[in-house]
Amino acid sequence: MFNSMMQQSRRIAGAGSLMAALAFATPALAEDKEPIVFGGSIPLSGVFAFAGIHIHDGLTDYTSWINSEGGINGHEVEYVMEDTAYEVDRSVAAFKKISGSDKPAVYYGDSTGFMKAIASELNNQGNTLMSGASFATALTDNEKYPFQFIPGPNYSQMFGIILEYINSEAAEGDTPTVAFVYSDTEFGKDPIENGKARAAEMGIEVVEEIVTKPGSVDVSAEVLKLRRVRPDYVVFHGYVLSPINEFMVQMRQMGLDTKFMGTFWSSDKLIVDKMGEDADGYMGVMPYNYYDSDESGPMLDALRAQAEKSDPEAGYRPTGYMQGWFNAMVWTEVIKRTLDADKELTAENMAASLASIEDWDTGGIIGIPVTVHDMSFPVGRIWRVNAAEGKYEPVSEWIHLD
Amino acid sequence: MRIGDAKETYVADEAIWTSPTQTFWFALLMAVLLVFPFLANSYLLYLGCLVGIAVISTTGLNILTGFTGLISLGQAGFMGVGAYTVAVMSTHTALPFPLVLVLAGLAAAAVGILVGLPSLRVKGLYLAIATLAASVFLHFIFAEWESVTGGMEGMSFAPAHMFGFTFRSDFAMYFIILSVAVLALFAARNLFRTRVGRAFIAIRDRDISAEILGISLLKYKLMSFALSSFYAGVAGGLFAYFYRVVTPESFPLSMSIFYLAAVIVGGMGNLLGGVLGAAFMTLVPEALKLLTSALTPFFPNAPVFMSPMLEIIFGALIVGFLIFEPHGLAEIWRRVRRFFHLWPFRN
Repeated sequence: MFNSMMQQSRRIAGAGSLMAALAFATPALAEDKEPIVFGGSIPLSGVFAFAGIHIHDGLTDYTSWINSEGGINGHEVEYVMEDTAYEVDRSVAAFKKISGSDKPAVYYGDSTGFMKAIASELNNQGNTLMSGASFATALTDNEKYPFQFIPGPNYSQMFGIILEYINSEAAEGDTPTVAFVYSDTEFGKDPIENGKARAAEMGIEVVEEIVTKPGSVDVSAEVLKLRRVRPDYVVFHGYVLSPINEFMVQMRQMGLDTKFMGTFWSSDKLIVDKMGEDADGYMGVMPYNYYDSDESGPMLDALRAQAEKSDPEAGYRPTGYMQGWFNAMVWTEVIKRTLDADKELTAENMAASLASIEDWDTGGIIGIPVTVHDMSFPVGRIWRVNAAEGKYEPVSEWIHLD
Repeated sequence: MRIGDAKETYVADEAIWTSPTQTFWFALLMAVLLVFPFLANSYLLYLGCLVGIAVISTTGLNILTGFTGLISLGQAGFMGVGAYTVAVMSTHTALPFPLVLVLAGLAAAAVGILVGLPSLRVKGLYLAIATLAASVFLHFIFAEWESVTGGMEGMSFAPAHMFGFTFRSDFAMYFIILSVAVLALFAARNLFRTRVGRAFIAIRDRDISAEILGISLLKYKLMSFALSSFYAGVAGGLFAYFYRVVTPESFPLSMSIFYLAAVIVGGMGNLLGGVLGAAFMTLVPEALKLLTSALTPFFPNAPVFMSPMLEIIFGALIVGFLIFEPHGLAEIWRRVRRFFHLWPFRN
């Protein structure tokens, strides 16, 4: 895109009088300004590739779009990535390689494990601000991870948003009951203690906790436990699909009218596509508008136009794509604020710029202006599957936690 | 051509340094390894450290599986014991890193002896399952013993230190890892010049015959488990110092399979094979990425299509080695050496 634009500019320069007109008509990248590098350890293969490919597309398309808009303060943006197969040692290797050769200002990390492992180097280096696929609560610890942020609510905040919704739906005087079903992984256990504490504060009763293997299929015994306590809601966390589908189908077969909810990585179209009619009514917390939602805004429209332009046949773009795009949007905002303040692009300056984000209009990616708290964006909305339409529809207003 | 290399005594035949040529090449290798961090960028230095850790752990597993014939899928678990020992000791004490590494090895060795007990009754696939169970059990302890291990969130801790020096960078860690790896290989090489090492080999070749010859299976099988786990514990300890963060998910089952594959691809029962296998398993996935880099200027979307392909190519390479060279990389290396021993003659 950048090259073709420059070639076009050169041709028109020969025409002399048209040059000035073109300069005003299209934003130009200043050739003397150093490019700004977005780096990334991206899982294009391995167990997380289902999301990694879309994250990569989101980052690639955002880079093309921002360059077509004149880059960041006239600096061209370059996106440099390596596949990691979702393995920590390979993610670290990719980081070392890219940070050695391309000096990225910002970097996409593919897992909580990687982001923890690289933290000490990131802190020592002080050149790069990092975010990525992880919404881990631990990463919002500013003491340990001063140069890492979460591109949305962390998992505990997602639980907070879910519990706010449950509370708002309860009839006056009723005590809603909820069961937490989560995987026995770091990912799965992340928000549970904070979720229980928050539920207790809000007067929501946690009647059951069930831990399973991620991807497990035989959950009959666990379903029987849930039948005994008959929770109003089951909140899943630490899964992508299975065993959510098993729980939902079996509990409905038993005649329970429990409502089912999940967090970011289990709230994509995969559930709708794989479960069909059975997915109807499943609810997820999502900090971004879905690609196929009825919402709009200048940035959301630009995202859709760029996605259409880069691959007209792709159709729906999953939440990984939205997440990749939003990460790059935040990086751009942070870099712009740092450059506008006439400061160097150090991790410390960029982290300060991030912390200064208040009531930021994301152009429709998130439906309300957002403010950064503790290196995260504690905002989200509850969406429910409409199986007949094959999409998620909003059932709550945007919820911004304090 | 190699000449003047006749051995007149058994001692000469068993010597580590058998010829000036061998000594020269080894000295050159050591010189290259010592100069390497001064010339390498951070990426290559990182890979060098990873290979070093993998060499130590693979050598440990080679002692158990390659030399004693006891298959184990618990290597990642033993490394985890070593890593958590380093994490706990670094958090609660100010002991210098060599002492902590030895303690990490000893802790893993103690666990290894316990895990090795079933080897007295079962072997082959049954032992693999027993060690797999131990690995799962250890993972459970790492995840659930929160007061000690920090639970699923794990532990982060201070870098390695000794005599007031702190070894924070990859550059500093490289020299520690290289020293430990050389020491580990030297110790293993000497082990198989002793009664203990020969007892391991006798057990591998036919355990009943070994017992008839007076080798205590109880003693030597457990000793092999202890030694192998000691190596794994030290490797895990270095892994912990290298990343300075340890979580239960740092040591998945796939890591045990990685080391077993390294032993098999390198050549079972051959120390050089362990080194080559560890280097192969660590470096080949990275080297294959060069293919993607070469294609990206022509096909911008190459990473998306090539990344899964590279996994397939890597798998195919492993299968290829197993089919065409069952004795592993060490055998290929041996053939190359033999060629130069005879050169310019063919036979």
